[in-house]
Amino acid sequence: MSLLEKVDKNTEARAWQGEIPIQNRYTYGLAGEKFFREIMDNARFVGTRCPECNFIYVPPAIYCERCFSRLEEWVEVGPEGTVQSFTVLLVALDGSPLTEPEIMALIQLDGADSVLVHRLGDVELDDLAIGMRVKAVFKPKKQREGSILDIVHFVPVDV
Amino acid sequence: MTSKIREFPGVGLREPDFAEKKVLFTEWKPNARYAWDAGVAIGRYLAELKEGHIIGVRCRRCRRTVVPPRIFCEWCFHPMDEWVYLEDHGVVNTFSICHVRWDMERVAEPLIPAVIEIAGASKGMGILHLLGEVDPKDVKIGMKVKAVWKPAAERIGAITDIQYFKPVK
Repeated sequence: MSLLEKVDKNTEARAWQGEIPIQNRYTYGLAGEKFFREIMDNARFVGTRCPECNFIYVPPAIYCERCFSRLEEWVEVGPEGTVQSFTVLLVALDGSPLTEPEIMALIQLDGADSVLVHRLGDVELDDLAIGMRVKAVFKPKKQREGSILDIVHFVPVDV
Repeated sequence: MTSKIREFPGVGLREPDFAEKKVLFTEWKPNARYAWDAGVAIGRYLAELKEGHIIGVRCRRCRRTVVPPRIFCEWCFHPMDEWVYLEDHGVVNTFSICHVRWDMERVAEPLIPAVIEIAGASKGMGILHLLGEVDPKDVKIGMKVKAVWKPAAERIGAITDIQYFKPVK
């Protein structure tokens, strides 16, 4: 075996296979906790308002990104909103093709100044438009567990 | 803590708080599978372990035999392609007695990782492995040890094809 020996087929490559056992647990923080509890218990959206900037954060934050004020004023927003941007996904997270395209959108809930990322459903690709009106579809209360997936998706509002 | 901050803000959480679902949380297990290319030298080393041999490689210029094998000599950068079968015994170069496993589990029976200078390789050349069938108190630097192999059918081409090294009586 010399230095110039080459492996021509990838099936002959001598590789050591392994798996690094890691997992993580994410807690939502003070603002996120309240946001997701509201979704889980009451199927409602809440945000925080900055009195200095008059800016309403949804999802909420406990500090204003613009002026660093502490945010303590909670306001209810939604459940309807406007699509600010969207993208159509044809491949899954692992790179495999999706049989049914998924639509991800930035949704500005009514009353909020920031946007929320979620899926759009029950919509034809041709009907997608920035500015379309959508509303949240929640899972049945018993199935909700305090996660962003407690919202199934957003669907167009029938005008 | 500083002179201004006496207490950090936030909520301290313990494992029971998660079990009782006092707070909301999301768990995620990233897929951290990997394949490490063994290369020509280690590839052959692992293949030979499966056959029950320890193989090294010799540098013609430095006249030394190294194990584990590598594709060039790190002393003179000369390519090395003279493969040499070594013995499956050697002497303990250095060792440690571990009461805690790699994942921080306490073990009842201590593990004894050791560097074993393999007979047939140049002096000081050795591999890291475990010692077995020996009282930790009896382990000495320089003691002669011999490989205990897995049965041929169970060998997969890994360093664990050698179960451990045991003292030679």
